[in-house]
Amino acid sequence: MDQHLPSQELGAIAPIVTTLLDGNVSSDDLSKVSSLFKGISNQVSAVTDFIQSILKKVENGESKTSKGISFLDVKYQLLLSYVIDLTHLMLMKSEGKKLEGDKTIERLVETRTVLEKMRPVDMKIRYQVDKLIKTATSGEIAPNDPRRFKPNPDNLVSKLQQEDSEEEGDDEDDAEDKGPQKYVPPKVSAMHFDGDLTVQEKKDRLIEKAKRRALSSSLIRELRDQYNEEPEEIAERGTAPTRKFHEAAKHQQEFEEGNFIRLPVTRKQKNLKRKGETMTGLEELTKFDNISALVDDSKGEERDTPAKKKSKVSSRVS
Amino acid sequence: MGDAAVTIRTRKFMTNRLLYRRQMIVDVYHPGKATVAKTEIRERLGTMYKTTPDVIFCFGFKTQFGGGKTTGFALIYDTLDYAKKYEPKYRLARHGLYEVKKPSRKQRKERKNRQKKVRGTAKTKVGAGKK
Repeated sequence: MDQHLPSQELGAIAPIVTTLLDGNVSSDDLSKVSSLFKGISNQVSAVTDFIQSILKKVENGESKTSKGISFLDVKYQLLLSYVIDLTHLMLMKSEGKKLEGDKTIERLVETRTVLEKMRPVDMKIRYQVDKLIKTATSGEIAPNDPRRFKPNPDNLVSKLQQEDSEEEGDDEDDAEDKGPQKYVPPKVSAMHFDGDLTVQEKKDRLIEKAKRRALSSSLIRELRDQYNEEPEEIAERGTAPTRKFHEAAKHQQEFEEGNFIRLPVTRKQKNLKRKGETMTGLEELTKFDNISALVDDSKGEERDTPAKKKSKVSSRVS
Repeated sequence: MGDAAVTIRTRKFMTNRLLYRRQMIVDVYHPGKATVAKTEIRERLGTMYKTTPDVIFCFGFKTQFGGGKTTGFALIYDTLDYAKKYEPKYRLARHGLYEVKKPSRKQRKERKNRQKKVRGTAKTKVGAGKK
């Protein structure tokens, strides 16, 4: 496409036309003007021929105009209107009319500002547009080729001294660049890793946990309430195990209702439920919490109790 | 078609266009009575949603502790054809729309014993040659 627009020639003619109107005419200027006019007419005829051939192609359906870039659409419409306004100004000048307060000048200024604002955007998408043109002409590259959207570091450096130099376009990570990696199968559920701890550290942790549990037992709580000077608070909260049970039941119910499914009941759950319904609470009256962790014991290592198994209600639904 | 004491309410109603059905959670209040039968729930839902009860499939009814309230699920299909296509076979069998055909127990056990004598993919071929 002829980038050498006739507008350049028009711009060259404008000062000469003004000098003509001032009255200082020289033969040099006249010859220049006539040569420029000839050049314009040649160019205009060439451009019209070119555009007509393109129009014919579009009418015949050889080249499709459906999937164009709307940004470039706007750009050429603006350029067209700019050129038309310029020619209007030329016309007015050559007829000897005043340009003062003409709406054309406002339009020209507006178009020019918009074009200036579009320029940095144009710079940024230049890479994408070039790629598109290349694929359109060559028609080779597959649409899913991730190398098409590789980021170009040269585009990061802004050539227009603008503030934002962000990248546009898709940056798909090229995972294939890392090379073949060892396949690690996914583990079913996340487990806590305690391989870094020594045996002694694990024992210490057990003792700490037992101490914490003993501190929050009912015995110690009652002692604390007895000797505490703060006002007594009565809250209907339920003990920690009942709260856990209720939370697990609520979690299961939400899962079942959300997924329209009934989860099967395990034998352990059935037994627990049966125990809860019967009158087995009498045994609990004489069972107090284990506060041996707080007692100063030198035989702590012999009383290694196995870790309590967590209930599997929540692990089942998740 | 039902005592005034039995109340049916639906919750979480959703129209599932992908499977051509409407799905909901059904709450049945039946104080002082035993758990309501699924057939009666289907009829009630049929009148509520203006369909015939044969495209309604209910399942998963659980009575809360102490009685009086039961919660379950219900699916209402657009047509019986879609129901036959998308419903699992055991639920169709509950309505009598599907029969599981399996050979008699003795023959199944004989086939298993014949398969035990063969290794690998030939096991499938053994079953075909039933004597």
